[in-house]
Amino acid sequence: MDIRFNGAGARFAGRQVLEPLSLTLGERRIGIIGLNGSGKTTFARMINGQVPPTPGSVSVGGLDTVKDGRQVLGRVGFIFQNPQNQIILPIVKDDIAFGLKHRGLSKAETAAATEAVLARLGIAHLAERRAHELSGGELQLAALAAVLVTGPDWLILDEPTNQLDLKNRKRVAETIAALDQRLIVISHDLALVEDFERVLLFHEGRLAADDTPGKAIAHYREIAGA
Amino acid sequence: MKALYVDRQTWQHRLPPRLKLIVLVTVSVAVFLLDRPLPLAIAALAGAACYFSAGMGLREALRRLIPALVTIVAVALFTLLFQSAAEAVTALLRLTALMLFAGAVTATVSITQFMDEITLAATPLEKAGLARAADIGLASALVVRFVPEILGRYEAISQAQAARGVRPRALATLMPLIILTLRDADSIAAAIDARGFRQP
Repeated sequence: MDIRFNGAGARFAGRQVLEPLSLTLGERRIGIIGLNGSGKTTFARMINGQVPPTPGSVSVGGLDTVKDGRQVLGRVGFIFQNPQNQIILPIVKDDIAFGLKHRGLSKAETAAATEAVLARLGIAHLAERRAHELSGGELQLAALAAVLVTGPDWLILDEPTNQLDLKNRKRVAETIAALDQRLIVISHDLALVEDFERVLLFHEGRLAADDTPGKAIAHYREIAGA
Repeated sequence: MKALYVDRQTWQHRLPPRLKLIVLVTVSVAVFLLDRPLPLAIAALAGAACYFSAGMGLREALRRLIPALVTIVAVALFTLLFQSAAEAVTALLRLTALMLFAGAVTATVSITQFMDEITLAATPLEKAGLARAADIGLASALVVRFVPEILGRYEAISQAQAARGVRPRALATLMPLIILTLRDADSIAAAIDARGFRQP
């Protein structure tokens, strides 16, 4: 179930925004760091096929992200930067059930899967709540539940603790740490990735470091002058 | 992502969503076939009875009507100016009845129910190979979901402009509103795709 980049880059409007790179991702916890506009999100979006590689190819468990896009989407869950835009339906349990439509499940099976994922994340009490009434941390967890219910092997989280206060940041970080899925976490919150197995540093559309968290973060601090 | 659906248990909520949507379509056609003020006034009163018993507080109910009501009054005034008083009254009553019935249905049918019913209604189109029923259902549901979102954003932009000492003007507010809405639409489309709802 490894992710492979084979000379894969990304190009928008005639501009190469991510230089071609080749690597294999197989660890359980991978962090992605870098300055704003460095290519982190583009790299992550190439994994679930939202951004097609130009040139090269990307595969997840042997499935090509372009040719086998539908299957790849089923294996790679994606939590976006702004959970507000991730929530499609206003009631939490309806939104979680939304991801299970067209999977041939009965209403009872959908309801059971929804309850199970809410219980697993400790947010069963949010089931009937309206998403716009939730705090930032609750909203992030609701968005996480909506993706987890689809049973992905990989989970990509784009800035999961962005805009959260300390209490919610801790709660979301603990929830993420307890997940069984293989994780790729894009974050400016360096504490979130410092215990990970591997950290990729992007800078100006290039992979600038692929190392242990300590070394990659040290390199990042040099680049950022911080 | 505020919703127009009101989570209460009124008699209207207990009616099947399909029945409510069929009644709305029937009433919509009927009020355009009627052209005498009396039956249209009765329809408007019936619409008001449904709307104000849909479980909203009076203030919330009135607040929701303002944008549509402004448009309806403007249409009636133009009709009065360019046609006749009788036709202006007819237009006013017809559109008011329609607004009230539609408001009652919107407040008592959840987005999920709405999406399921529209998807079912669009099944013949899918069978004819013209479109995916699920896409039509989703698109219709997103329209309903976006209405309060766009109104909220309009208010936020107006307040931001007022805070900077700019008197809110329609054009100055509409431009950022359109840009922000399109940007969010892109994000939401990406989220829908990422959750595997639409088949690539």
